[in-house]
Amino acid sequence: MKKNKLEEREITPEFLLPFGPQHPASGHFYASIIIDGERVVELNPHPGYLHRGLEKLMEYRTHVQNCMLVDRICILDPFSNEIGYVNAVEKITGIEVPERAKFIRTIMAELGRILSHITWIGVNSMALGLDSGTRIAWGNRERIIRLNEIITGGRIYPCYFTVGGVRRDLPQGFKEKIMKELDYVEKQLNVYDSLVFENEIFIMRMKGVGTFGAKEAIALGTTGPNLRGCGVKTDVRKDESYEAYPMVDFRVVTMKDGDAYSRALVRRGELAESISIIRQLLEKIPEGKFRVIIPSFMKSPKGDTHFCCEAARGELCFHMVSDGSPNPYRVKVRGPSFSHTLSEFPYLVKGVNIADVPAIYWSLDPCPADMDR
Amino acid sequence: MSEEIISFLKSKFADSIIEVTLEDRETSLTVKKEKFCEILSTLKYIGFNHLSDVTCVDYIKEQEIEVVYHLWSHTKKLRGNIKVRISRESPSIKSVVDLWIGAQIHERENHEMFGITFLGNPNLSPLFLEEWEEIPPFRKDFNAREFVRREYYEKE
Amino acid sequence: MEELRPKGIIKSVEEARAWSLWVINYFTACGFLELLPWVGSGYDMERFGIKAVGSPRHADVLIIAGYVTKKALKRIKRIYEQMPSPKYVMVLGSCPMTGGMYWDSYATIKHIDKYIPVDVWVIGCPPRPENIGHAIVMAMKAIKSGFKGH
Repeated sequence: MKKNKLEEREITPEFLLPFGPQHPASGHFYASIIIDGERVVELNPHPGYLHRGLEKLMEYRTHVQNCMLVDRICILDPFSNEIGYVNAVEKITGIEVPERAKFIRTIMAELGRILSHITWIGVNSMALGLDSGTRIAWGNRERIIRLNEIITGGRIYPCYFTVGGVRRDLPQGFKEKIMKELDYVEKQLNVYDSLVFENEIFIMRMKGVGTFGAKEAIALGTTGPNLRGCGVKTDVRKDESYEAYPMVDFRVVTMKDGDAYSRALVRRGELAESISIIRQLLEKIPEGKFRVIIPSFMKSPKGDTHFCCEAARGELCFHMVSDGSPNPYRVKVRGPSFSHTLSEFPYLVKGVNIADVPAIYWSLDPCPADMDR
Repeated sequence: MSEEIISFLKSKFADSIIEVTLEDRETSLTVKKEKFCEILSTLKYIGFNHLSDVTCVDYIKEQEIEVVYHLWSHTKKLRGNIKVRISRESPSIKSVVDLWIGAQIHERENHEMFGITFLGNPNLSPLFLEEWEEIPPFRKDFNAREFVRREYYEKE
Repeated sequence: MEELRPKGIIKSVEEARAWSLWVINYFTACGFLELLPWVGSGYDMERFGIKAVGSPRHADVLIIAGYVTKKALKRIKRIYEQMPSPKYVMVLGSCPMTGGMYWDSYATIKHIDKYIPVDVWVIGCPPRPENIGHAIVMAMKAIKSGFKGH
């Protein structure tokens, strides 16, 4: 009897699938997935496609020049990077910022949070195949970017905060302009609810997927909305308040289940809370100076300091060491997406179906620029 | 950290703690290299369950590298920074992977950027850079502008 | 734009090519943020016939937006070689042109046109959506009159 050639070949069940740098659902990030049929066995992340060595570049520039570089650490949420760096420098030098500047900085930071969450709705819908959510969300994002341009002068990279305050005062009639845009965004929340968050297929794809408990989350280094989706009530804006956050009243949104759908609902709740924070600040904003003038080649005293703030993705920390010259000696940035993508994502993906991998990835809201710096 | 935690630590590890600075809710402790693992596991047992970051600073004049561990307690809402100094010639330190799983990736990044060996870490392969043949890039004796002029502007 | 609009049946292959440019879906770096309004309902790109596709074998245009690191350059070259001709490359931002603000970074490429041939340059950091639209219209006029890429 003739032996079939196929029977002589050794057949292995496992297969390497590249979730590659050029992929509609992966950002600029490569992960090699080993699958067995339809189940994932193991995932190995390979970051580094966006690495520029920003921390080394910051050692060659003065503090005032660094304010332009710091914008680009996390490109989807630029205001929180600036708040972190500028507050770290002011902590080490002991400069006191006027009250009006603190209110302006908080208003812009909350606008940046709204912008980042609306971008996230669009990207998550695109990864799951719900294209209409993407088109509507990215069209609405334009209104807030135009508000950015009227107030700060730059659409995406404002470069507005500086050591000692903000660069220029708010324009005339800013209250009416900001209130108008906030009313529009609040009305659009109903559209997102009926199109995305209460959509049957969205719920079926996200509910019960990528679940983990609070203990494992804390051991892996999770922060931000991902941790609040597991039931842990923690927020840097309430625990170590900075800027004008002690003067407003807001609630920390938490959900109990720990799956992808509860993380999505936490972000939806934070959108509503940010709108109410900005309205409270606009009523209480005081008059006065918006900036303290400092020399460009200001020398900071010797020592080191550590400052944490709450970005849209989690906890963003700056560790700064200074040796008495105008340049910083060492700046270390802890981006929130570093732990999420490189520790949590491989842990959550073991044993799930291959079709759930983009749903889990985008429910963690990663930003590859934040991870690589 | 509050005063009682600091006094508890001083009673247990009196000769290992070099310096303490207390500021609002945040404390910085400088400790010696021999017993820093026990201090960290004591702090984790007390309630500091979140490891934010592992930072390295290169002090080239004193020929030392300083490793800083940033801790946060979700229950007590307190922050602590533990600093350890190691020598700059073939630096190595014990890894804290068995206390916090999330520390593995922070140590891998510091190994690539500074050249420190973390004993006990299961995976120390390169993370961001591919085929890198120079000294670790974040050390102070690596001149980035000289490297860029030689590798990019003169070759292109 | 009026002279570009087709009147009646499209009569030439070049005109058909100009009105259906397919872009490969590759989110490179920060310069890409000003292409998101083109995907969304603000400045809609589908009315020009532009679509994002997943595979390099189906694409006409490669957009490199933002800085390029040494690690990513190998993959970009491979994608460029896999695209069938006629193919076009568009570069956005000042970082791939001359180094930009990362001119002293040890990991980014300073001049991209020493590695792959480029057809359209758009300046800005990042360029505004109106500038990108102007560049697209210029490219469509050139393709309609027979330009086939470098």
